[in-house]
Amino acid sequence: MATNQPPTAAPRDAYIVGGNRIPFSRAGKKYVNASNQEMFTAALEGLVARFGLQGERLGEVAGGAVLKHSRDFNLIRESVLGSSLSAQTPAYDVQQACATGLEAAIAVTNKIRLGQIESAIAGGTDTVSDAPIAVSERLRKALLEANHAKTLGARIRPFTRLKPADLAPASPSTSEPRTGLSMGEHQAITTAKWGIAREAQDEVALNSHHNLARAWDAGFFDDLVTPFRGLTRDDNLRGDTSLEKLSKLKPVFGLKLPEPAVPTMTAGNSTPLTDGASAVLFASREWADAHDLPVLARFVDAETAAVDFVHGHEGLLMAPVHAVPRLLARNGLALEDIDFFEIHEAFASTVLTTFAAWEDEEYCRTELGLDGAFGKVDRSRLNVNGSSLAAGHPFAATGGRIIATAAKLVAARAAETGRPARALISVCAAGGLGATAIVESA
Amino acid sequence: MTGGPASDGRRVEDLPGLPGLGGLYVKGAAASATKRPRPGGVTLPAVTYRVPGVATGDPATAARLRAYQDLVGEPASDVLPAGFLHVLVFPVATALMVRGDFPLPLLGMVHLRNAIRMLRPVRLGDVLEVRAWAENPRPHRRGVQVDVVAEADVSGELAWRGVSTYLAKGFQVAGAPGSATAESAEPSEPVEARDFWTPPLPTGRWRLDAGTGRAYGAVSGDRNPIHMSALSAKAFGFPKAIAHGMYTAARALADVGPAHRGEAYEWTVEFFRPVLLPGTVDVAIRRTGGVVHPGERPASGSSYVYDGWRPGKDTRHFTGTVTPLPLPPKE
Repeated sequence: MATNQPPTAAPRDAYIVGGNRIPFSRAGKKYVNASNQEMFTAALEGLVARFGLQGERLGEVAGGAVLKHSRDFNLIRESVLGSSLSAQTPAYDVQQACATGLEAAIAVTNKIRLGQIESAIAGGTDTVSDAPIAVSERLRKALLEANHAKTLGARIRPFTRLKPADLAPASPSTSEPRTGLSMGEHQAITTAKWGIAREAQDEVALNSHHNLARAWDAGFFDDLVTPFRGLTRDDNLRGDTSLEKLSKLKPVFGLKLPEPAVPTMTAGNSTPLTDGASAVLFASREWADAHDLPVLARFVDAETAAVDFVHGHEGLLMAPVHAVPRLLARNGLALEDIDFFEIHEAFASTVLTTFAAWEDEEYCRTELGLDGAFGKVDRSRLNVNGSSLAAGHPFAATGGRIIATAAKLVAARAAETGRPARALISVCAAGGLGATAIVESA
Repeated sequence: MTGGPASDGRRVEDLPGLPGLGGLYVKGAAASATKRPRPGGVTLPAVTYRVPGVATGDPATAARLRAYQDLVGEPASDVLPAGFLHVLVFPVATALMVRGDFPLPLLGMVHLRNAIRMLRPVRLGDVLEVRAWAENPRPHRRGVQVDVVAEADVSGELAWRGVSTYLAKGFQVAGAPGSATAESAEPSEPVEARDFWTPPLPTGRWRLDAGTGRAYGAVSGDRNPIHMSALSAKAFGFPKAIAHGMYTAARALADVGPAHRGEAYEWTVEFFRPVLLPGTVDVAIRRTGGVVHPGERPASGSSYVYDGWRPGKDTRHFTGTVTPLPLPPKE
C-alpha cells in the first residue's frame, strides 16, 4: 500500500511490565457507589503494590473515562494524588471512547520509545452505575443566562420560560450524536450487511465465557486482578452457559430493520454495561532492570483508524478492519504471524464482521486498497482467555485489561516454545474509531 | 401596492415588506371555505408579488437564523441555509395564495414536493429582492397540482429559487374537463411508486417530540394548525399533529452539511405520508456516485439521496436529494 511507509526505527523499545485491574461488575450491582476516581485509584494501588512502586516518581500516568463528570477534569492526576505513587508523578486524561485505554498506552509507550520518559502507567476506568447526569439543554441555558444576569428580575426571567419537562435530567446515552442510532443499532446494520448468523454470534459468546472461566480457574488472573468492594471475579461471567441457553435469548437490537434483515443480536452476544478500572505498567528496559522487574512483552507498534460511518458507507465499529492491515504491513507481518488475536468483543458480531471483511476479496480491494482478501484468522487463536462478552466492558478500562492479558499470553507462549510470540490487539470505538497494536514477547 | 413591469405575462405587484404570516392564515382560513372546484377549472392569477428590499442584517433575523440552525442541526454560520431562505420568503408566496383570485384553498392543499436551488451563497446582511408567483397548473390523479415559485436576488443576481408543488384535491385544470380522473401527467408521479417501496438499511434515527411542530412553527412562522397540536390537527382530519415537511427536509440537508453540499446546491424533497408527532423516523442519507478508493479524495462536493420512513414499517414519509452545483464564475 502506498500509504504505508516502512517504520522508522524508534530509539529504543517500550516494554509491558505487568497489569492490574479490579474485577469488572455489571452496572447497578457491586460498584453502585464507586466513583471513577475510586475505581481507578484501586486499580492503580494494586499495581503499585504488586511492583513495589510506593513513593516512586514515574514518568507519567495517562488514562481516562468515557462517561466523565466535568468535575473530573483531572481524573487521572487526582487518582495519582490519592495513590501511594510519588506526588511528583505527572498525569493527564485521555478520551477516545472505548479505545481510551489503548490510546493512552500508545501515547505513553511512544514517550518511552523516544526517551522522554522511562516509566509510565496507562489505563482507564468507567462506571455506568455512577454516571454523571446532566440537566436538559433548556434548563442549562436558563441557568447560564441567570448566572450572567445582573439584577434579580433578570436572574428569574430565564426560569419563567421553562416547562416541567425541562426539569427532567438528561442521562448519558450510547447513541451516536450524528446519527441518533445506538451502538447496538449501528452494529445490527453492519451485521445485516454482512449477513452474520445468530448461531455464529452465540458461539463467539459461548467461547468467551468458557475461555474466561477456564483462565480464572487456572489462576491466570491471580496476578492481574485486585479484589474490590467484595468482588473477586468478573460478575458477568457465566462459565456454565451453553449454546442452548444463549439461543433462547430474544434479540434486542435491529428489531426494526427492513427485510431481509433478521434480528440476531441478543443480550447474550452483546456486551453488557459494566463498571471497572484497569492499569498497565510500561517501562524502558533500563528502568525495568534498575528496578529489578522482569518484563513480559514489548509494545511493538500501534495504528489507529477512523471510518466514514455517518452516511452508512462503512459500519460504525469497522475502523480496526482498516487499521490492522496497515499495522501488519508496516511491520512486515501477515495474519499467520499472529499467535493471539485479542479482538475486543463489543458485540460478538463485531468480531465476525471484522473477519468476514478480511476474507472478502472485493471489499479488501475497494475499501482497504489491498490486492485481494486480507486473510483468514485462525479461530483457535481468538480471545483464548475470554474477552468483553464474558468479562464485561467498562469502556475505558477494556484496553488495559486486554494489554495485560496479551502480554502474559505471549510471555508464557515464548517461555513454553522458546520462540517469540505475538499478539494483535484490536479495539473498536464510538465515532467510527479504532485502535490496534502489536505486542511481542520480550 | 404599486404596479410594475410585466414578466411572462404576469403583472408585477410590489409589496412594501414581508407580510405577517399570522394574518395571512386568518385570511387564508376564512377564504378557504369559499374556494371550491368550479366549472371551467383552475385559472391562476397572472400576478408576481415582489418585495424589493428584504434586509437580513437586523438582530431579529440573526437571532431567528440561529434558532433555525439550532433546531434543524445546521452549524452556526452567517451563511443562510437554503431552508432558511425558504421560510424567509414563505410569507410572500402565502400572500399570493390567499388572494381572492387565487382559486385554490390555502388550508387543505397538500404539499407534494419542493425543489430548491441555492445558486450562490446568501449571507446575513445581504439585501434580497424576493418574487413569488404561481404557475403550471396541471392534472394530478386526485385533483390539480400547481407550482408556487419564489426567487431571491442579491445585488441583481439570482441567488435562490424554490419551487413548491401543491395538490388541491378535487379541482380540475382549465379546459381539461374530467382531468381529475385522468392519468397522471407527470412521469415522476410518486403515488404509485410508494406501493412498491421497501426501505433501505437506515443510517440514522430521529426522535421527534410532541413539540416539534411548535418549535419549527416558531422559527419558520408557519403556524399552520395541523402542526401545532393534536387538537388543532384533528380539526383538519389528522389524528395527531404532523411535522412540517420542510423541517424533515431541512434536517436531511443539515445532515449532509455545508462541507459536503458546497456553497451552491440543489435540494429536493418529495413528501408521502405525514410524520405524526411525537414520532420516530428512520432515515437513510446516502452518498451517491462512485466509491472513493483508499488514498483518493472525493470530487469536490458529493451528491446525496435521502429517505425517511417509519421504523419497522414500509410507511414512507419522504425522499429527496442534495446535489452540489457549480458556483457561477466570479466577476
